[in-house]
Amino acid sequence: MATVREKGYTHWDGKLGERRFPWWPIARTGILLAFRKKRFKFIFAGAFIPSIVFLVGLYISERLEDFKAIIQGSDRLLNIDPKYFATYLASDWLLFLIVLVLAYGAGGLIADDLKHNSLQLYFSRPLGKKDYLAGKMSVVAFFVLILTALPGLLLIVFKLVFAGSFKFFLQYPWLPLSVLGYSALLTVFFAFYVLLLSALSKNSRYVFILIFGAYIFSNVLFGILHEIFETPYMALFSVPANLQQAGAFVFGQKLPHAFPAVWSFAVLAGICGLSAVVLNRKIRSVEVIK
Amino acid sequence: MSIEVKDLSFRYGKIVALDGVTMRLGEGAVGLLGPNGAGKSTLLRILLGFLVPERGEGRVLDYDIRREQAMIRRSVGYMPESDCFVAGMDAVTFTAYFGELSGMPRQEAMKRAHEVLFYVGLGESRYRLLDTYSAGMKQRLKLAQALVHDPKILFLDEPTSNLDPTGRAEVLELIRDISAHKSVQVLLSSHILDDIEALCETVVILNKGKLAAEGRMADLRAINYSLYELRIKGDVDAFRKDLESSGSRVDEMEDGLVKVYMVEAADPMDIFRAAGRTGAQLRYFVKSRTSLEDLFAGVVGVD
Repeated sequence: MATVREKGYTHWDGKLGERRFPWWPIARTGILLAFRKKRFKFIFAGAFIPSIVFLVGLYISERLEDFKAIIQGSDRLLNIDPKYFATYLASDWLLFLIVLVLAYGAGGLIADDLKHNSLQLYFSRPLGKKDYLAGKMSVVAFFVLILTALPGLLLIVFKLVFAGSFKFFLQYPWLPLSVLGYSALLTVFFAFYVLLLSALSKNSRYVFILIFGAYIFSNVLFGILHEIFETPYMALFSVPANLQQAGAFVFGQKLPHAFPAVWSFAVLAGICGLSAVVLNRKIRSVEVIK
Repeated sequence: MSIEVKDLSFRYGKIVALDGVTMRLGEGAVGLLGPNGAGKSTLLRILLGFLVPERGEGRVLDYDIRREQAMIRRSVGYMPESDCFVAGMDAVTFTAYFGELSGMPRQEAMKRAHEVLFYVGLGESRYRLLDTYSAGMKQRLKLAQALVHDPKILFLDEPTSNLDPTGRAEVLELIRDISAHKSVQVLLSSHILDDIEALCETVVILNKGKLAAEGRMADLRAINYSLYELRIKGDVDAFRKDLESSGSRVDEMEDGLVKVYMVEAADPMDIFRAAGRTGAQLRYFVKSRTSLEDLFAGVVGVD
């Protein structure tokens, strides 16, 4: 260990300021720390594969004659309308990839702080519980929005570029709002979902299993209960099914399950509410000094 | 006065943690002493603004502990007792991060992080991942993050725990340097009496949520009681009972040394009278300079 006082203590001559967004350093640091994990970089890059596939689809849809030999009658799949975007944003594989990215990149957001007792360091700063949670939620928001809103809006732009006209936009002027609205819904839900599970354990590996396990188990449970009771309402037990039901509603598409979308919204809101209660109990400044 | 509390009370449910504590702390290093459950942590929690007192009021650097908690936390550097860090970070990023959270501009926080890490002796290892740090290095790191925003007061909770003798001496030297020459006030909570004795001019002793003693160490030694060290041949128990009946406290050490704490007004001749009454022979008698340990034992009533 180096000798103490390699350099004398000097006072800092600056002035501490009051931040407009005190949560911003937490958000920025959380994102940077996620990218320091080697495996995460590959997973994050891989999560863009669906958007690239849909981008290629957009290109081919405007050049059907050129790709006739490849398409061979499946051109109805390349009918570019709101359903195409709903299919992208609410697809099983995109939702699965979002869960994978969040499990790797955001699972330890609170778990690591609990494990290493760092909450006491945060709350000895001029930070409130809301600032702390806003910073952590912003990390989740960054990853979800970059996988949903950004590609969704870019797909619309590329559609206009490939088509060379604004006809598509004039036909569906509300589509960008639907993309943003559904992305916002996914962001809010996953922020609460991931932080809820992250606050339940001090071990980020267990959190990883919890995030995946709860997501997949809910869908398996839906399958089993649906077989037993043969009612579509069993889809309310499934996280992905509720997200897809809400997505279909936001994009004005036929609902995948035969019950009102408001039930799915209520379930998702219930999970967020449960998360808020748990986070409020787990993240307590009075426990910062042991 | 940098810290001032008046009639401060707090309870966890039915358990009284602080009961009408009133004190005024000035400049320099102040030691906060007390047995487990004395209310030290609760006092720190209240001063940092984590807990709202049930009764009473207080000010830290003239900021109200009930209404201006953010300003207090901006002006205070806190070094917790337990190990704490952010996984995946190196020391310089970690220190700068908490500087930034205190309100420093990002670039300034980074520059300052380098400075304080050199100051605490982690300059060479500032780019190492914190997960690989030893216990002693983590202790220094906690001091660095507490200093990064150049606080006016440092709250140090057991700053020398987990340190080997050399590391302990070095950290104590750092704290002494900060409090004596850098106009940073230090509030040091520790169960290691030697640390407090080595660093602090003023001491606050809490016991069962109440203020047991407060003041300059030298004054407390002189005012509260006189300490006499004796060696006795004869019935020590009878001698003890005789003296205790007159209000003195008698402790017998393992090596046979008997310590008698007499209230200031008491007459030292009472010791000889008690020996005469109980037939004990006094083989050794000396008026001792009270150590902090003696003071603590005398005030709190524990060894």
